[in-house]
Amino acid sequence: MQTSTPDKLDSQDLLVLGIGNPLMGDDGVGNRVIELLAERDLPPNVKIEDAGLPGWGLPAWFEGWSNVILVDAVQMGRSPGSWRRFQTEEVQFVVENDALSLHQPDLACGLALAQALELLPDNLVLYGVEPAVVNPGEALSPAVRHSLPDVVASILNDLEKIKV
Amino acid sequence: MTKRIDVHHVTRVEGHGNIVVEISNGKMKECRFEVVETPRFFEAMLLGRPYIEASHITSRICGICSTGHTTASLRASENALRVELSEQVQLLRKLVFHGEILDSHVLHAYMLVAPDFLGVGSVIPLATSHREVVLRALRMKKLAGDLCAAVAGRHTHPIAMTVGGFTHFPSHAELKELRQRLVDSRLDVEATVELFAGLPWPKFERDTEYVSLSKPGEYAFIDGDITSSDGPRIPAERYKEVTNEYLVQHSSAKLTRHLRDTYMVGALARFNNNFAQLHPRAQAAAAKLGMKPKVTNPYLNSAAQVVEIVHCTEDAILLIDQLLSRGIQPEKPAPVHLPEAVSEATGVGVCEVPRGLLIHSYKIGEDGKLTGADCIITTNENIANLEADMRSLVPQIMDKPTEAIRLDLEMLVRAYDPCISCSVHVLKVKSK
Repeated sequence: MQTSTPDKLDSQDLLVLGIGNPLMGDDGVGNRVIELLAERDLPPNVKIEDAGLPGWGLPAWFEGWSNVILVDAVQMGRSPGSWRRFQTEEVQFVVENDALSLHQPDLACGLALAQALELLPDNLVLYGVEPAVVNPGEALSPAVRHSLPDVVASILNDLEKIKV
Repeated sequence: MTKRIDVHHVTRVEGHGNIVVEISNGKMKECRFEVVETPRFFEAMLLGRPYIEASHITSRICGICSTGHTTASLRASENALRVELSEQVQLLRKLVFHGEILDSHVLHAYMLVAPDFLGVGSVIPLATSHREVVLRALRMKKLAGDLCAAVAGRHTHPIAMTVGGFTHFPSHAELKELRQRLVDSRLDVEATVELFAGLPWPKFERDTEYVSLSKPGEYAFIDGDITSSDGPRIPAERYKEVTNEYLVQHSSAKLTRHLRDTYMVGALARFNNNFAQLHPRAQAAAAKLGMKPKVTNPYLNSAAQVVEIVHCTEDAILLIDQLLSRGIQPEKPAPVHLPEAVSEATGVGVCEVPRGLLIHSYKIGEDGKLTGADCIITTNENIANLEADMRSLVPQIMDKPTEAIRLDLEMLVRAYDPCISCSVHVLKVKSK
């Protein structure tokens, strides 16, 4: 679906972080994507991690990685299940506000802190999936479930571009 | 003249809580800490699920205390199913628990508390004004996370912890490396004590009942009796005699009370009740911070966390020494004993997560599935005490400008480190 910006993921190692809480409906989409990626044959230079809700601790996850892909539920005002692949320079992190993500301190806070510390990875891509339901419950909504194959395919496409 | 302080969704706490205070003509008209988070029905999610899944579900209740919820859940199942843990498993459980306490305390002290004292409002400007301080915090957090990953298989939401033991064991080399990093981190730990010893803690005293676990021979984090600073020690299975949950209109959380109207749990309660069992270096840090029990200034809960950072660092080194001298031996989880037909087994698991006493109580049927679950969430236990502090504090500071009152109250809330999103627990679950 939606992506057109030039690709910057071009060096050796890459970390994929799933963000979210699988007990809160569609907030678990990031965790689910990590589970789906774990079923695939990934290049040896790729590491995948379910980071849960890292909050202010997010910059610690970035240490040692110059290429990072984040996957999270993101409120973008789009139809549920639609997704976007952002380069970080395309978006503004809205801090202490639910505009970009759903927990507090949320992904935006963690990214803003990393930015202030100059610890953002050189190449950072964010996959945001518009949630339909963020309430207690372990199931993803049909709309978000429907988006999963495309999101995973797009991430796998990113991984293929990395030089081994 | 009327001053009204409404702080909606106090920033830098995990979740949402509102401070509502109204002062009119020198009198306090209103003073509440409201919990407005959507109720979360975690207990209901556990019903009908195999006991082996319970710890993985409950580990997601809190993004920060995931090892704590895992541990309480495992201990509830293990007590219900009469599981005897090996010494090695107990050592590893304690080690990974220290990792999470360090992780949470470092984040709380540096990212939530320090910005208030250093006059920058939030950790993001602090990252610019005091970059080295924030980098130190991240360095310490990274070590704590790596400790959790080595023992529990993942930085957060442990996957290798299971009923009866572990499904993965760290190697001798991994433990040796972690030990060295912990020893090296003493410089950062000392710098942390220096930093917090130099902060101008607000002057406010209010004695309350302090409740924590206690056990012989060690500063209790996992298992033990529930101890009150007012005297009684109560076996964990009888936790309801301590918690006495009740509801109030302005909060969707269940509150608790024991001998007094409110009680406090957390680092300060542990410090007050179990000071003698802290590592000598932690006791020395307490002296530098000007603390000796009984401390009745709730703002110093954060300082007690700094003392525990010292304790957990030192005790983690000692635990690794024990594990290395025994030699790490991968072992299968200890066996469970399911209840007989047409009966159910009951078990209570208790531990001291970063914010205080956490209790899981399960009923497990003959098929190994949960037929009942009760989780007493730490922050719930503190809400009534926090409100009582606010009611005591406001008359002492009501002459200050509104903004100054607001900051004092926000700092008080942050001292408790409430995890509001975890705290809501309105659903009572009973098996049919």
